[in-house]
Amino acid sequence: MLSLWLSRLATDRIARSRENSGAPLAVYGKRGNADVLTAVDDAAMRLGLHAGLALTQARAMHPALDVVPEDANADAQLLEHIADWCLRYTPLVACDTPDGLTLDITGCAHLYGGEKALTADLSARLARAGLACSIAVAGSIGAAHAAARYGAAGSHANGEERRLLSPLPLAALRLEAATVASLARVGLKQIGDMIDLPRAPLTARFGGAVLRQLDRALALEDEPLTPRLPVAPYVAEQRFPEPIAREEDVLLTAERLAERLKVALERRGDGARRIELTLFRTDGAVRRIAAGTSRPVRDAAEIRALFTERLAALADALDPGFGFDMARLSVLVAEASAPEQIGIGGGDETKEMNRLVDRLSARLGHQRVRRLIAQDSHLPEIAAASLPAQATGTDDGWASFRAYRNSVELAPRPLRLFARPEPIETVAAVPDGPPLRFRWRRALHEVAFADGPERIEGAWWSEHGGAARDYFRVEDRSGLRFWLFRAGLYRDLAPGGAAPAWFVHGMFA
Amino acid sequence: MIEELRQRLRGLEKPPGLEDGPAALLLGAAAVDRVLGGGLMRSALHEIAAAGEAHVAAATGFVAGVAALSSQGAVWVAEDMAALESGAPYGPGLDGFGVAPERLITVAVAQRRDLMWAMEEALRCRAVACVIGEMRHGALDAVAVRRLSLAAAETGALALILRAAPGDDGSTAATRWIVGAAASDGVEPRMLAQLVRNRRGPRGQWILEWSDSDGRFTCAAHAQPVAQPPRHRPHRQVA
Repeated sequence: MLSLWLSRLATDRIARSRENSGAPLAVYGKRGNADVLTAVDDAAMRLGLHAGLALTQARAMHPALDVVPEDANADAQLLEHIADWCLRYTPLVACDTPDGLTLDITGCAHLYGGEKALTADLSARLARAGLACSIAVAGSIGAAHAAARYGAAGSHANGEERRLLSPLPLAALRLEAATVASLARVGLKQIGDMIDLPRAPLTARFGGAVLRQLDRALALEDEPLTPRLPVAPYVAEQRFPEPIAREEDVLLTAERLAERLKVALERRGDGARRIELTLFRTDGAVRRIAAGTSRPVRDAAEIRALFTERLAALADALDPGFGFDMARLSVLVAEASAPEQIGIGGGDETKEMNRLVDRLSARLGHQRVRRLIAQDSHLPEIAAASLPAQATGTDDGWASFRAYRNSVELAPRPLRLFARPEPIETVAAVPDGPPLRFRWRRALHEVAFADGPERIEGAWWSEHGGAARDYFRVEDRSGLRFWLFRAGLYRDLAPGGAAPAWFVHGMFA
Repeated sequence: MIEELRQRLRGLEKPPGLEDGPAALLLGAAAVDRVLGGGLMRSALHEIAAAGEAHVAAATGFVAGVAALSSQGAVWVAEDMAALESGAPYGPGLDGFGVAPERLITVAVAQRRDLMWAMEEALRCRAVACVIGEMRHGALDAVAVRRLSLAAAETGALALILRAAPGDDGSTAATRWIVGAAASDGVEPRMLAQLVRNRRGPRGQWILEWSDSDGRFTCAAHAQPVAQPPRHRPHRQVA
């Protein structure tokens, strides 16, 4: 476990964003009813200022002090940004709010030549970004956290927790301030004071949290790490000694990584449904590009084709800056897929179609590529729906729709349906009959033929079901054919109520 | 050997979209098929414009009929405004026309450039026999149209452009149609189809009916004496 403590997060953030004025810097915020300092930088620290001091007092002591109001959101954002950037070391990164991160580097350190080299790399990069930090590696989250914050930074081997923690103050155990104060009242100041005490009386007096935190720090009890981002089941990554910037290089890298993932995917009989390409820019920015598929995929060329479309569709260009120095391809969602025979050119029609759907979805967005499905409803606007093609299953309901249509001899349906029925003004000969003429989109149509009514009940079981409708197929004198309906029936009309309204719902060929 | 090379040369010489024989799609109405020289050419781009705003549904009927005849996977690319103004293609209605909704993919695009891209992409897919691109007003980019024609020629798919109003741009489409609704006798719906450009022969206009039961177009009656007598027009290379 690696604990990273950004000791000057708030002041470093402000210093990064503006010219260095040289004046000591402090951040203040409201605590209770008073403005107090919440963070100070090194220069202010040397002047004897510290967090918790009243703002007025600090100003009186040092009139030249540069004070800035606190912005907790910006600090949290910066912390998340750094957490994203730390993904280059390990996928298991957790935020240790408000100003720290915990990285599970088990099995990752050797990639950098050991824990010491990794720590050095991390702190050097952060220092270059203008962030002061303190890093400790230890066998448990608690021990690493304590070591990073209480002056024992560095790398500590597993099993050394006891020796490491003994001299540290009790506050290092991540206990509440009130608990630490009451422990201090009975003379317990350092962790070492407490390790060998009988456990039952401690628990009875201070609650179970104290010993649990102690056990966790001593690695006697497991503490789960909650990563900020879900961990992908399949990951492949590539570091570049020389940063890459060209789009073709990025795509080539994606393909190479996909080749490597393919082996792992095949071994477990999986295919990727959602893939993410993470690009780490040299200046610390992280770019994530995700693509979905309509069925499990493991072919590298296909994955490359998906990212080609995604890159082409990016509203802002890839913006490589001074280049990317690392790329990672992760399969976010994997699904079992049948083993494929290699070498036979895909003659399968559905497969070709799925490929087309994936390409179109990657470029235009999956909401824009749709398939029509039939639903079990008598309401025309619900009877047919369109769903994203990548999400629809094999059962589209059209077979049962045809069976239903033939069994009840359903009246013809229009070729085009308006998303919202459009209101029209009508003149009808008899209240229940079809209109004689009507005005739609400011043009008058004289009805030549009419067929109907076809009565479609509203969803009477629902509060918002609407009234029953009488549908008419109507042709005007020029041959235009409309699907009109009257919302509401005259028999249901309340005395003195307004006459039912008419609408155009669709058009026939 | 020489014969073989000659054959290959003949294949190369054929301008895209002008192949005869099985590459044509019989509409069913004999008079129309004759003027078209054996049906609507596959592997080519055809442009169908509605006679006016209100006639889009009739033009859609013509397009749906052609798509039903090509009987395979179809892709319907439409600009967002088209679905808002003229309504979205309705599954049960398409099914009545013989276009199986389960084999249709609909794509909504925000701009003309995406429309052309999506159409080309779909044309290059071997599982797709018919690609319909529905657009609102505005000119068609001649280069994009040319690209679509070439893509259609490559895979043998049918490219149809459905416009909300006739355009006045000189397009390189194999045929251009203006389709509107026509007054019916109260039984079968009819449409007035005007062939205003035909690369392989004369123009004409007919009143067509789509017959659900046979799944083909039939000629209802001549609106007026139509087809000019066929005259010989040597195939020429299209720019």
